[in-house]
Amino acid sequence: MDALLALAIGVLTAAGVFLALRPRTFPVVLGLTFLSYAVNLFLFAMGRLAVGVPPIISETASGYTDPLPQALVLTAIVISFGMTAFVIVLALKARAELGNDHVDGLEHETDRHA
Amino acid sequence: MSFADHLPILPVLLPLAAGIVLLALRGTGTGVQRAASLVATLALVPLAVALFAATADGTHFVYRLGNWDAPFGIVLVADRLAAWMLLVTAAVAAFALLYAVNGTDREGRHFHVLFQLQLFGLNGAFLTGDLFNLFVFFEILLLASYGLLLHGGGRLRVKAGLHFVVINLIGSTLFLFAVGTLYGATGTLNMADLAVRLAASPAGNTALVQSAALLLFVVFALKAALVPLYLWLPAAYGQTSAPVAALFAIMTKVGVYSILRVYSLFTGLGDGPLAGLLDAWLLPLALVTLALGVLGSAASSGLRQQTAYFVVVSVGTLLVALALGTPGALAAGLYYLPHSTFATAALFLLADSIARARGTLGDRFEPGPALPHAAWLGGLFFAVAVAVAGLPPLSGFLAKFMLLQAAVATPHASAVLAVVLAGGLIGVIVLARSGSLLFYRSQATEGAGPSPSAVALAPVAGLLALTVALTIAAGPVSEAAGDIASQLHAPRLYIDAVLGARP
Amino acid sequence: MTLLLAVLLPFAGAALIAWIARLGRSATAWAAAGITLGAIALLAPLAPLPFAGETLIQQLDWMPALGLNLSFRLDGLALLFAGLILGIGLLIVLYARYYLSERDSMGRFYAYLMLFMGSMLGIVLSENLIQLLIFWELTSLSSFLLISYWQHREEARHGARMALAVTGMGGFALLGGVLLLGHIVGSYELSDVFASADLIRAHPLYVPTLVLILLGVFTKSAQFPFHFWLPHAMAAPTPVSAYLHSATMVKAGVFLLARLYPALSGTPEWFWLVSGAGLATLLLGAYVALFKHDLKGLLAYSTISHLGLITLLFGLSTPLAAVAGVFHIINHATFKASLFMAAGIIDHEAGTRDMRRLSGLWRFMPYTATLAMVAAAAMAGVPLLNGFLSKEMFFAEAVHIGQGHVGGWLLPVLVTVAGAFAVAYSIRFIHDVFFNGEPGDLPRTPHEPPRWMKLPVEILVVLCLAVGVAPGLVVGPLLATAASSTLQAALPEYHLALWHGFNAALAMSALALVLGSLIYIARRPLMAWHERGIERLDARVPFNAVLNALLALAGWITRTLDTGSLQRQAGLLILVALLMAGTPWLLGDTPLAGTHTGLPLDAVSLAAALVLIGATLLTVHWRGERFVALIAIGAVGLVVSLTFIKFSAPDLALTQLSVEIVTIILLLLALYFLPARDEAEPGRGRIVRDAALALAAGSGAAALTWAVLTRPYDTIAGFFLENSKPGGGGTNVVNVILVDFRGYDTLGEITVLALAGLGIFAMLQNLKLTAPSHDSAGRAWDADAHPAIMATLTRLLLPLALLVAVFILLRGHNQPGGGFIAGLITAVALIVQYLANGATWTHQRLSADSHPLLVWGLGIATLTGLGSWAFGHPFLTSTFGYMNWPLVGKFELASAMAFDLGVFLVVVGATLMILTGLGGVHRRESQKGSH
Repeated sequence: MDALLALAIGVLTAAGVFLALRPRTFPVVLGLTFLSYAVNLFLFAMGRLAVGVPPIISETASGYTDPLPQALVLTAIVISFGMTAFVIVLALKARAELGNDHVDGLEHETDRHA
Repeated sequence: MSFADHLPILPVLLPLAAGIVLLALRGTGTGVQRAASLVATLALVPLAVALFAATADGTHFVYRLGNWDAPFGIVLVADRLAAWMLLVTAAVAAFALLYAVNGTDREGRHFHVLFQLQLFGLNGAFLTGDLFNLFVFFEILLLASYGLLLHGGGRLRVKAGLHFVVINLIGSTLFLFAVGTLYGATGTLNMADLAVRLAASPAGNTALVQSAALLLFVVFALKAALVPLYLWLPAAYGQTSAPVAALFAIMTKVGVYSILRVYSLFTGLGDGPLAGLLDAWLLPLALVTLALGVLGSAASSGLRQQTAYFVVVSVGTLLVALALGTPGALAAGLYYLPHSTFATAALFLLADSIARARGTLGDRFEPGPALPHAAWLGGLFFAVAVAVAGLPPLSGFLAKFMLLQAAVATPHASAVLAVVLAGGLIGVIVLARSGSLLFYRSQATEGAGPSPSAVALAPVAGLLALTVALTIAAGPVSEAAGDIASQLHAPRLYIDAVLGARP
Repeated sequence: MTLLLAVLLPFAGAALIAWIARLGRSATAWAAAGITLGAIALLAPLAPLPFAGETLIQQLDWMPALGLNLSFRLDGLALLFAGLILGIGLLIVLYARYYLSERDSMGRFYAYLMLFMGSMLGIVLSENLIQLLIFWELTSLSSFLLISYWQHREEARHGARMALAVTGMGGFALLGGVLLLGHIVGSYELSDVFASADLIRAHPLYVPTLVLILLGVFTKSAQFPFHFWLPHAMAAPTPVSAYLHSATMVKAGVFLLARLYPALSGTPEWFWLVSGAGLATLLLGAYVALFKHDLKGLLAYSTISHLGLITLLFGLSTPLAAVAGVFHIINHATFKASLFMAAGIIDHEAGTRDMRRLSGLWRFMPYTATLAMVAAAAMAGVPLLNGFLSKEMFFAEAVHIGQGHVGGWLLPVLVTVAGAFAVAYSIRFIHDVFFNGEPGDLPRTPHEPPRWMKLPVEILVVLCLAVGVAPGLVVGPLLATAASSTLQAALPEYHLALWHGFNAALAMSALALVLGSLIYIARRPLMAWHERGIERLDARVPFNAVLNALLALAGWITRTLDTGSLQRQAGLLILVALLMAGTPWLLGDTPLAGTHTGLPLDAVSLAAALVLIGATLLTVHWRGERFVALIAIGAVGLVVSLTFIKFSAPDLALTQLSVEIVTIILLLLALYFLPARDEAEPGRGRIVRDAALALAAGSGAAALTWAVLTRPYDTIAGFFLENSKPGGGGTNVVNVILVDFRGYDTLGEITVLALAGLGIFAMLQNLKLTAPSHDSAGRAWDADAHPAIMATLTRLLLPLALLVAVFILLRGHNQPGGGFIAGLITAVALIVQYLANGATWTHQRLSADSHPLLVWGLGIATLTGLGSWAFGHPFLTSTFGYMNWPLVGKFELASAMAFDLGVFLVVVGATLMILTGLGGVHRRESQKGSH
């Protein structure tokens, strides 16, 4: 199970990195979203994996998983939401100012050395 | 606890409250907002001074948020270094704001709110004793800086902003990976507790904690603009509005501060898996940063970009001091830190006035019209250039002297001497060239813009006055820097203060 | 602190003059003179001390811990130089008053001059070497200002920058040298340095120290091969040349040579380096001077040559040579300053300095001519004049050193040749200008200058004569005290007199006079030959070449690294991160996997994982088709939240889910303004490269996860589980951590959210976007279509959704839920309205301005935190109690819940601000469309 999660995090990271390196803004936004999925899962996993033991105090509970990473992830999720929203709008702003959706404002890839 | 016991958190709460109030005041006239913003910013100075005085005797003020003990709750730790950073930030922020109220603040929305929350983020980062909380405050100061950077808009500015944001979002991701790994390995987040647990971590975890610590270093190096992660800086600082660039002069120092704070704790306890982690390669990287910064300044096509590259130079110099690691070198770095912040901030502000006075030519290095009030602008430029280039008699030279004196006693003497001195020389040549292009090779007054108002030049003069003060008071200031350095060399005191803190 | 005052006075004076300048030209000049006299008045009372053989040292703490103090020293050498600086300075002030034209700004000139004077005084009066260096650099800076005084002239700007570059380089080298010296001695105070002379000479660092210091000396005193800046510095106004380039600044180098003579001299390295450079400079300068057509050019090279002579004397490192060196410093200063002033007068009155046009001026200005002739004779070393005496001593030493060495005859020969050339160019200076036929076409008809412009020249020329005739009487004592403080030892046996009998030196002088005359007579062919060859090499060419090469290199490196490409920066960042995180594993011997065994695998999880991976790959593959990509990434987010449920994190699941929805809506709105389809990327190379990087990063992340999950750890979590209920008053530990244990994080986090909202709001102001009028399939685009059923349905759902939100908010402290989730649900509910009913409808019913929500949210959260101050607790300390609520029943009320309410408001406010902001753009668009 742990290996499976590690694999999933790996795949998400790889996708995130690949997309973040694309020349157009929209894939970059997707890439950053993937990266936040990956890192949130990672952070969460740092409390180790446990099934059926939510950190909610009750007499019947058989045990509790580590609540701290969950709190951290919750914070991280909300922060990355704010960041993602910002970068989405920034992408629009960039399109408006630069006239296209290339991250460097180039109409075509070939423009760079022109 | 009495009101005085709340001192450590006031520098954080004041800008936050100011931000909220300014947000509530958004409907009112510009005058009211400016007044409120200025009052809040200026009020930070006495607070920082008070904290500086209170920590001068070596006390670590530990503020237990939510009344929970470390390592379980978050604590603020005010020591000499934190107070020092707060003081520098307050000073540079005050002058940046004084410049901004000349009109920059009206070029977009919510300037003052963003400005205050930026200060909230900065001060929070300097005071926190918890690694994840440091992440949170990094995000605050980043998001605020995104807003400020884009303030006013414009093609190049937006492009620079996009790059800055994306790069920093990747950086934040790395930060979380690092913090997560450290928690996964040690089960704690408090920096003091981390230091203890890392030093005692089992042999099986060595590589794990090392790669976490190095990943964390990458994040800080990115903030500090250390080679090869400095490429975002010239565009971002060169394109944003002058007061924001001036305020950003402290932003790279946040990265440097974090390196100082975290690694003095992580590697300071002698033999742990992290002992001597950075020794091998920090110095070479710092020297390369310095060199590339100087070359960049020589290659710049405009004064603002050139100033941005001088910020890179200052980062390189600071990290050289940090990498040498001896108390003397560290003291030199801590003395250099405010100097370089004030000097580059002043140049950013002055560059803006010059650009306006040159009309359509802006700050580009092309022969232009004879400037209105050339005597004033030229005189200020000469003085600021002397400060930036680290020439006598201003504090930059004294800092360089302290640094080199410390370096001479180390095995790296020749390398440091060569790079710092050669870099200094090129800096002088470059600035002389810029000055003679901007001021001497001027023809008739056609195309000259409006002459700079005294109000616009006052903040520049103010920042200069600060470097003069640093020069005259070099004795006490350098001793204070020495005290900070010695405190950083004794992390045990910090740790005991934090983990031993009880009401 | 008289010495300190004397040094500071001119600096203060500079400011004063800048202010006084408005009162007129004479007032300015008078002020400058007054300041100079003031400095003299301060020092005069102390003058007897050095003559009594005492050394006055005055100190003031500055950076004692680092050995840098304000400490000044007045001994013979310092007194001599202070005298030159102030005495000649006074004459220059007077001279410049008449030299400068109406157009020139007096204020700037005299202010700069005072700056320079102060810096120069600082150098010669310094006891601390670092302090000396500070003033040293200040002379470079102030001379930059003085040389570029006529800033509209290209050669002035260029000459100034060249001088600054060369002397600046020397300055930085000197700094290095002084630091090494201080490292060896353990102090920068001259007294200590003198005391440990043997230690220095024996130290392994002696040679690097010496070389660095000599670099400073040679650049400043224009020694070969660094001499080239001096002739270009002649673009300065003549008073400046007369002051800086004959009497003072260029003498700073030889001053330092003399100053450090006791500490550094006496080694073979010193001998060969110093006397070698000196000899080369002496010959080169003397030779080139003859062929310069510009009066000031001739004088500049002659100055270079004489500085070489002095350097050579110190290099020989015999006591007598040192005495001769000091003596020649005095003599050269007097005759060269007067010659520069004469040249200035000629230029001023005749309108040119070109000796090919000047001639026969004797008829017009016989008086000036006489003065110039005497000074020139002194320069040539004619008996009865001061130049003769020091040159005699110099020749004598040359012979003396030569004796007993193989090839020892060479030195006397060479110096005689140099002497001959000195004679030749002196004759040329006089003959070409004042005689040599009738004047050519001069810009003006020359005449004698005003009375006060001649006075300084007269004074100096009289000095030349007086010293020449009665040296012992006029200059003897001063020379003695200066020389002894230079040597820091007993003076050697010497006597100043005109006549030393027939000896080698006298013969050499005579020979030099004869040879010199012959050379002058044979000058025409020589010149023709010279101009074909050496004259062509202008130092300016290689200097510019080097500088431009440097700039080109800088430009190339900078452009290569900083291409302004985001992809490149991002790639670099990821690469660096990989390397850093990877190295410990690759270098160390730690196994990746630990001992800890994880949970067993089950089919559902496997399936979920496969869905996740599949959807991810789908997104990557369809990144070009953006709507498809969007749906796919939505699926990914869903699986992520399922993962949270699976592994006992209900709060995370809820948060992730609601965040997911809002994000997707945002992306949908954004897509409306972005091209629906990517153009294909050119070049597989980059794709492959990025893919490789991505795979590496992915494996890295996976490996790191695996490494942690397979290791045991000891966490502080137990504390939270124990104290959540008793200490925090809540059973949902995650929520208690968020609002209590780590409420400070949460405060920061809602600030981030608020900032995002504000930043976006600011960005969207007057944002103009052009939306496509047709979609990818070419169908007409309708920005505002709202199916009636969906609209009604959602309107019915709204109250329900809000109720749920409130419920979740309230129970959050004990059950999964809390401010975030409640806030996001509320936001989503409102957004759905907005999507279903359109912006216009929603805006009519919903305040578009969500700023108040942020204010209230942040305000409530902060105030809750501050509330604990009243009870003497730190910020954010929570308290709680129980009470009975109708319907809900026994209910616990915690202050932390007020905090959570703040969170709720901020989340709602920020989310709405973002979405309505974007919607606003939409609305502007659709309205544009309808018109």
